[in-house]
Amino acid sequence: MRISGAVIFSAGLAMTAAYAVLTALRWPSKAALFPLVMGIPLLVLAMAQMVIDWRGVRAPADAPRDTRAAVSVLAWMTSFIALVFLLGFPLAVPIFIFGYLVIAGREPWFLSLALALVAWGAFYLLFQRLLHFPFDSGWLIGGGT
Amino acid sequence: MIDALLQGLSLVLQWNAFSLMLVGMALGFVVGLLPGIGGAATLALMLPFVFKMSPVEAFAFLLGMHSVAATTGDITSILFGVPGEALSAATVVDGHPMAKNGEAARALGAALMSSLVGAVIGAAALAVSIPIVRPLVLTFGSPELFMVTMMGIACITSLSGQGTGAQLKGFAMGLLGLLLATIGQERQSGILRFDFGLIYLWEGLDLIPVLVGIFAIPEIIDLAARGTAIAGNAPATKLGAGVWEGIKDTFRHFWLVVRCSAVGVLVGILPGAGGGVAQWMAYAHAVQSAKGTADRERFGKGDVRGVLGPGAANNSKEGGDLIPTIAFGVPGSGAMAILLGAFLIMGLHPGPDMLTKHLAVTYSMVWTLVIANVITVVVCLALLPYLALVTRIRGSLIIPFLLLLVFVGSYTANRQLADLLVTLGFGAVGYLMMRFGWPRAPLVLGFVLGKLAETYLFISMARYGYAWLAQPLVLVLMALTALVIVLPYLQERRAHAN
Repeated sequence: MRISGAVIFSAGLAMTAAYAVLTALRWPSKAALFPLVMGIPLLVLAMAQMVIDWRGVRAPADAPRDTRAAVSVLAWMTSFIALVFLLGFPLAVPIFIFGYLVIAGREPWFLSLALALVAWGAFYLLFQRLLHFPFDSGWLIGGGT
Repeated sequence: MIDALLQGLSLVLQWNAFSLMLVGMALGFVVGLLPGIGGAATLALMLPFVFKMSPVEAFAFLLGMHSVAATTGDITSILFGVPGEALSAATVVDGHPMAKNGEAARALGAALMSSLVGAVIGAAALAVSIPIVRPLVLTFGSPELFMVTMMGIACITSLSGQGTGAQLKGFAMGLLGLLLATIGQERQSGILRFDFGLIYLWEGLDLIPVLVGIFAIPEIIDLAARGTAIAGNAPATKLGAGVWEGIKDTFRHFWLVVRCSAVGVLVGILPGAGGGVAQWMAYAHAVQSAKGTADRERFGKGDVRGVLGPGAANNSKEGGDLIPTIAFGVPGSGAMAILLGAFLIMGLHPGPDMLTKHLAVTYSMVWTLVIANVITVVVCLALLPYLALVTRIRGSLIIPFLLLLVFVGSYTANRQLADLLVTLGFGAVGYLMMRFGWPRAPLVLGFVLGKLAETYLFISMARYGYAWLAQPLVLVLMALTALVIVLPYLQERRAHAN
């Protein structure tokens, strides 16, 4: 018996369900009915799974165990989102593509630059020229408008 | 009727209408690859362009675009695990594992051919059933629609995998999906549920960021972790050679394709049942039709039947969707609600007129669905060997472009920057679910159906009290729902007994 990642995940699910149930109990019956009907069995099932995981019965997982790769990709995604918030999509797209290819992908800089320009060109043609899709310009450039 | 059918064909083949259909198809092809801008959003964006067109031209343009977007959505689902359309998510479950096994071309061939068969069946259903479908649509009130959503939710048993442990996790994820669907303002009492004081959550979570996060991001992490191309070390010769195998698969499992097409048509006909339901129900049906436990365990690991079912339902649904839209002006989905706008712009009124005075226009829509799908499939089949080669590109080169597809797609659905954070959050959750062996499909199914189920339940209770539970059609649907739940267990027991 040990506290593994699987136990923590099941516990997190049980806590989410418990929060939902406790919150729903404060609402009028119309609003509370559906969350309670879903939340209570979810709480029971998540706790049952937590016990199963805690006792060491392991279900087959189909995800990679490389936590470092997962954290790295999630960090790159976070940085892309930060770029979008700060600069807006039109600028974030080429910067992110170039940065990822050079730093994470270890690709030659001229190839990275060419691909970043291709991505930006495709983005510009499709969304701005063809579809006239309005993108936010980012906090640093347009004050978030 | 035959005269009107032929007249409809000649109208679509006129130069103006045909060329506009090709333009619409080209546009639909591109937007179908993007997760956020789905068929419905593109219809809305293109609606202003139809003002100067004739009705036949306008519908050739709009329907050509819409039907192609539904087909090409499968391409990114299979190649990258990124659903190109919200409705193409079920194709990811088996399509992407096939791509990882080096069978991208086979999966794409199967998806396209089953889409074509589905589209033809949907169009045929539209052509035949318009005059006779009225009683069916009018019979379905809120209680019956609630039971249809329950039947969809019951499919969780088929999507959860085998064994008690897998069923437990599947049901838990289905319940979590239903719970997530309750986020936002409750429609009857106005109470804000689980909004954490954020205005963003008042409308609830949008499907696209949740779907893309749950399905696409774990695949991208997987790709980064493996450090290879999507197809890994699969032999290069297998990649392009499977197209014909995929086409043959469609005919090898032809009755499955026909049955899943029928599921798509039926779900499409029911107004408000939601397009996402059709694909998942078809997928669940494909799983249920497997012979025995061992056969069923192949699903989720790259079984071609898991591609054929959703592919067929995805396109047959379009024909089904059009039936109530044309016959009564009751849109079967969001996209059809927008198409209804096109009817009004054209000065047409859905209803009896479409079945008498404008019957040729109605049949021109049937032909548009068929012709647009035939052209798309032919073009895609020609391109497939090259498309499949994308799975050979090394991961480090393709990952930033996939991330771009994911986040631009999530943003374009609603133009909300917060959707990017939701995508990231659900991506992390999706990765943990994969890592600890929790199935993702039941969560999405619960989420898709949750809002519908609650709304129909409330209306049924407000209108009929508990008396709706005793309505004959409700009882039939209840029995069918019970059958959907029990059937996998019965099949398992029978397999053990044998």
